[in-house]
Amino acid sequence: MRRFKVGDRVVVRDETTLFHTRCQGYMRGRIGTVVEDRPAWVIPEDEAWGRDEDGRHEPFYVVRFKQTELWADYAGPDLDTLESEFSERWLEPAGEGEHSV
Amino acid sequence: MSTHSHDPHAPVQEPDGTDEFEILELAVRELAIEKGVFSAEDHRRFSEWAESRTPMYGSKLVAKAWLDPAFKERLLADGTEASKEVGVNWLDPTGTGTPSDYTYFYVLENTPQVHNVIVCTLCSCYPRPVLGMSPDWYRTPNYRRRMVRQPRQVLAEFGLFLPADVEIRVHDSNQKSRFMVMPMRPAGTEGWTEEQLAAIVTRDTMIGVALPQPGWTAAEAPPRSGVAHQSAEITGGGK
Repeated sequence: MRRFKVGDRVVVRDETTLFHTRCQGYMRGRIGTVVEDRPAWVIPEDEAWGRDEDGRHEPFYVVRFKQTELWADYAGPDLDTLESEFSERWLEPAGEGEHSV
Repeated sequence: MSTHSHDPHAPVQEPDGTDEFEILELAVRELAIEKGVFSAEDHRRFSEWAESRTPMYGSKLVAKAWLDPAFKERLLADGTEASKEVGVNWLDPTGTGTPSDYTYFYVLENTPQVHNVIVCTLCSCYPRPVLGMSPDWYRTPNYRRRMVRQPRQVLAEFGLFLPADVEIRVHDSNQKSRFMVMPMRPAGTEGWTEEQLAAIVTRDTMIGVALPQPGWTAAEAPPRSGVAHQSAEITGGGK
């Protein structure tokens, strides 16, 4: 069961973390749109400890952000974008569980 | 730094602290060899194999896709599978890819409206099976931190000026997937063979910091003045 589908607006969770997450700080708390589904795979939090098989597997998604959403001082045109991938645990529907940055 | 040494024999400061990781890698490698996890020769063979990958494979993928719409469709739908048609198996050499992490490969198609460019802010994720080892600048914190927030300035530093009505789409490839850019086929290449086309699809055009140009291949030494290559027509109007 996938929690999100292409076209959903999502916000990246802004949680305190330790160790390996592959979820960059500059994306946290930012709102974007799911543009691609990716297969389920072991999450980086478990993969980092070598738990390739028994680690938690989750769907991944590619999320597209407007650059002006990521950077308040973005100097380029409004249409520029950035994409990155997230495991499901790092995303929330936009509007619920939103954290201020 | 709070103290500044004027000692001429003080150790040279390595930029970005890469030497620390090199020492760490060496220590772990020596331990692994000592414990019999793999041999020194295994390590050498792996390095030789990994370092023999070149951008030639990516160039072939793009040139083939330019000429064959059915292949282009397969390549965009499943890059990992389509790579096998040019002799690249992403699952080599372990059956699950390298001991690094890549398994999924996606090709990003440039269009008149969208220009793609790849970066990895996490470290140095790069589609090595089709592009070989990444260039040094790709791994520098400077490129990584600035490409995600000042892409147009960074592209301009590579000599690439794109019009404001072209969307620049930066791909931060810091997860499982690996990406490569499929540039647009330039005008002036009508009737070219796959081999001719592949020669102008250079490494940088597949990272997204350059556009292919008829008359420019990475196999030839650049002319003394490279300025002639920055044709206003190709780079979208110059600065």
